Order: sequence, then structure tokens, then C-alpha cells
Amino acid sequence: MKNRLLIGRVIDTGSWVHALDPRAKLTAMLVYAAAIILLRSWPALLLAALFSLAVMAATRISYKFYAKAAKPLRLLMLFIFILQCLTVSQGRVLLQAGPLAVSAGGLSAGGLAVVRMALFISFTALLTFTTTPGRLNQGLDGMLKPFARLRLPVHRLTLMAGLALRFIPTILEESQKILKAQAARGADLRELRLRDKGKMLISLLVPVTVGAFRRAEELVTSMEARGFVVDAPRTEYYEPSWGAKETGFVGLHLLLLAAVLWLL
Amino acid sequence: MMGRDGQERRAEEDPVRGEPGPVLSFENLGFAYGKRKENPVLNGASGAVEPGSWVSLIGPNGCGKSTLIKLLGGLLKPQTGRIWIGGEELTPLSAYRLRRSIGMVFQNPENQFIGATVEEDIAFGLEGQCLPRCEMRSRVKEYAGRLGLTELLHKHPGELSGGQKQRVAIASVLAMQPKVVIFDEASSMLDEKARRELLGLLKEMRTDGNYTLLSITHDAEEVLQSDRVLVLDGGVIREDLRPEELFARPELLTACRLALPFRIQMQQALADYGIRLSGSLKDGSLEEIICPLFSKR
Repeated sequence: MKNRLLIGRVIDTGSWVHALDPRAKLTAMLVYAAAIILLRSWPALLLAALFSLAVMAATRISYKFYAKAAKPLRLLMLFIFILQCLTVSQGRVLLQAGPLAVSAGGLSAGGLAVVRMALFISFTALLTFTTTPGRLNQGLDGMLKPFARLRLPVHRLTLMAGLALRFIPTILEESQKILKAQAARGADLRELRLRDKGKMLISLLVPVTVGAFRRAEELVTSMEARGFVVDAPRTEYYEPSWGAKETGFVGLHLLLLAAVLWLL
Repeated sequence: MMGRDGQERRAEEDPVRGEPGPVLSFENLGFAYGKRKENPVLNGASGAVEPGSWVSLIGPNGCGKSTLIKLLGGLLKPQTGRIWIGGEELTPLSAYRLRRSIGMVFQNPENQFIGATVEEDIAFGLEGQCLPRCEMRSRVKEYAGRLGLTELLHKHPGELSGGQKQRVAIASVLAMQPKVVIFDEASSMLDEKARRELLGLLKEMRTDGNYTLLSITHDAEEVLQSDRVLVLDGGVIREDLRPEELFARPELLTACRLALPFRIQMQQALADYGIRLSGSLKDGSLEEIICPLFSKR
């Protein structure tokens, strides 16, 4: 399938990043997100970019995949770029067309915003590329554990998140099948006007929703048949292991954050 | 291939009488969905399954086969009647524990894939049994090996074929080491090759002797290979007979929408010419049975 989603897809190269405890990777991603959100200048961005490229190289996954992860948002990025260019007016005016003006400051702000966004998306894809959803779930479970004291149903939430991720490709595939079935009966989405397209999507939504409920019911039956009881004690298949590597990985990201704050 | 601790397990099934009783038995089961009390799905079904046997459960569509096995697996609670698993009665209290001795494989391989990878799916049931990590690892490895899934352990279900997904479902169930494995039309969504593979697997499990198999099926070839056939009709177990007996009764076959297996059709066609075949057509290939006919002449 051409557009098989990259969500939840692991690219196993056996690097040391793959073997890290998922909690370390989750924490590092949070620190990274903070750094990216806070940075405001080109030198800081350059540093963050070099850092990201180095960590990506350490996963031994081709840069192509990271680029692909950011690709679906290219239109949004273009939109943000144009918006920033037109609204931020600082420094020399480079282009003037009626009421619209592009200034040097605007161009810089737009470029900064786009590169930041691209970096953020492709870098966080590292998390799902190097961690199987089950391990990720277990890591999330471990990180949210303190909230269980506040009576937050942590296990249920992470189980739900895991199952939802697991079924995204299945349900997408099903909707494509239904679209094709409708096209085969003469209602091809591509040939319709925009208004009819909307109507058509509603007629797609109903069977897909019904199908999802049917799947959910069968899934629950088979989970129960395999002895699953909500809130019953379970052992964990993956071993949580926080060692020097994990501390180092998080430490590196903290250093990046500190450097970004200094270069701000 | 699947041998191991078979003797001990048999022995512990019924320590009192010394000889194994039925591993699964049910009496007078009644069940109706929702408010349709006047129109129950099951209405006094009784039967028993001997340990180590392979039993096919057949019947027309909507006759309550799936309901019956959900009751037996403790997934639904019967409104009347009782169920015994390994000599112990299934009650809401004992259900959690007894359910462990029953594994179930369902029809749609996609919708019973719980984990995000093959490995996680096999481990799911084991985590629920609270097994220590090293035991889980060794079982995942062992059962993936038995079902030829070792290469696929890190695959996402989207990357597998229907037959492979069904093998994962079977591995996940067998890894929990149940005594009884129930198949609910497990082959009906598979292609011909995967179906033959599944049939081979069932035969292997029977030879192994560690498993009791109960299979809902519309596949005549599968019915022929099993030891006994339970015919469910009108909410009761109408017949309990050997497959050869079933295929000799056309009225039952029509009622259950079952076609004659090719071997039996062949046997009957030959009989029309006055040629009687010696022995059962169940074992060996057709060629092995037919060739001696030529050499005799």
C-alpha cells in the first residue's frame, strides 16, 4: 500500500537509541520540545539542527524517513511561512505590493518558524521509529504512574491509547475499501463537486463507524478469552532498565535546552 | 512436535477416579439474547467432550454455535444449565481461573490481534497470567518457533497475510497452555492454502495428544478429519456421532448446509460402479487408497 502510515511503524536498525528505555526517550522528547519552543534566534536554531541531525544519525535510520514524517505538514508550513512574512514587519522592506509588505525581519521569522516546525516533527518521529508501540505504552505507563495516586486510571488510558494506535491503519484500510466499493457503484469521490464530496464523506462515516464498533466488540471478546480483566494485576513483558545511557541521553537534551536558553 | 508433559497433565485432570472423565461437559444449557426470552438461541443443550479428542460442532447459520462456545469459554453466563471444565463447575467465581484452561481462536484474524507486533500479541495473554518475564520470553520464543513465526516477531499486523495473522492468534492461545482449544470458524476467512495449513495444524495438535479440540466449522474436509461431530439444531445438540456416520445421512448434511468431502464423493461414485474400498478414507492420500485397486487387477 502506497500510503501506509508512518505512525506506529518501527524501523529496526538495532542502534543504541532503539535499546534505550522508553521513559528516557519520552523525557528527552519533552526537553527537546521545550528547547524548540523557546528558541528565537538563528544561531540557536543552527545548534538545535546540528544536534537533531547527530541524534538522528545515531539511530542509523536514513534521513529520508525523517523527511517523510514531516512531509504531510508541508502545506501548513507554507501557510505559516507566508503568514509570518506578511505580519511581522521589522527591518528593511524587501518587497512591497499594495498593502502587503515583506520585511527582512518577517522573512527571518517565517524561515525560523518553518525550520523549527520541520525539525520538531521529524525529530519526534524518532520516538515511534525506534520504539515499538508496546514498549512506548509501557514507558508512558511508567511515567504516568505518579498520577495513579490521584486516582487517574493510568493503565486504562495507556491501554486505550495503545489499542487506538494499533487500529489506525486497520480502520484507514477499511475506509479505503468502502471508498473503492462506492466508486465501483458509480460514486467516485474524485469526480464529484465539493458539496457532493461532503455528502459522500458522511456516507463513508456511517459504515466505518459501525465497522469500528463491530471490531471493538470482537477485540474485547478475544481479549477476555485471553484472560484479560480490567484492573487485574499483570506482569510487564518488556524490562524497564534505566542505566547510565538513559541518564546520558536525557542529559544531552538538557544541555541542548541550556545552550538554547543561553543563545536565546 | 508439540509433545511435553502430556502424561502429567492428563493425570491431573481427574485425580479422584484415576481415569480421565470428560474435560468439558455441559447440561441443559439455555440462553437468549436481550429481551427475546420467548425465542432462545439455546434451549437445553447437553453434551460432553472427552480429553484429547477433536470434536467438530456443526449446524445451520444462526443456530447458536458461537453462543454455545462463548458460554463454554466463560465469556457469557448461561441462563439455565451447568458447565463443567475438567470436573469443576464453571461459576462466576471460578470463571477467571477455569478460563485459563480454555483457549479460543475466532473467525476474523484482524480483530483478535491485540498487540502492535506479533511478539506483543503473543505476550498479551501471558502478561495477564502474571508470568515472570523470563518465562514469558521463553514461551514467546517457543510458540513462535512452533508456528513458524520467528521471522515475523517484530512485524506489525498490517504487514501480515490473513493466514499468518491466524497463526499468530493460534500461537497466542497455545502459549497460554490451555487444555481445550476452541476454534470459532477459524478457517472461514482464510484462502485455500491457509485453510489447508490450519487443517494440518489441527491434525498435528491431535497427534500431540495434549490438546482437546472443539471446532465450529463449515469445512467438510475438517469435519471428516475430526473424531466426533456434535450437531446443534433448534437450540439443542441433536446428534453426537462419528463423521463417517454423519456423511452417511444426507438429510443431516442438508440441514447443516454441509457438502460431501471429495473423498466421500469419490467413494460413493466408485461404489456405484460396484467397487468397494477397504478401510476408512480418512487417512492417507487418495492415490494411496486407489492405486492398490489397480494393482489387484
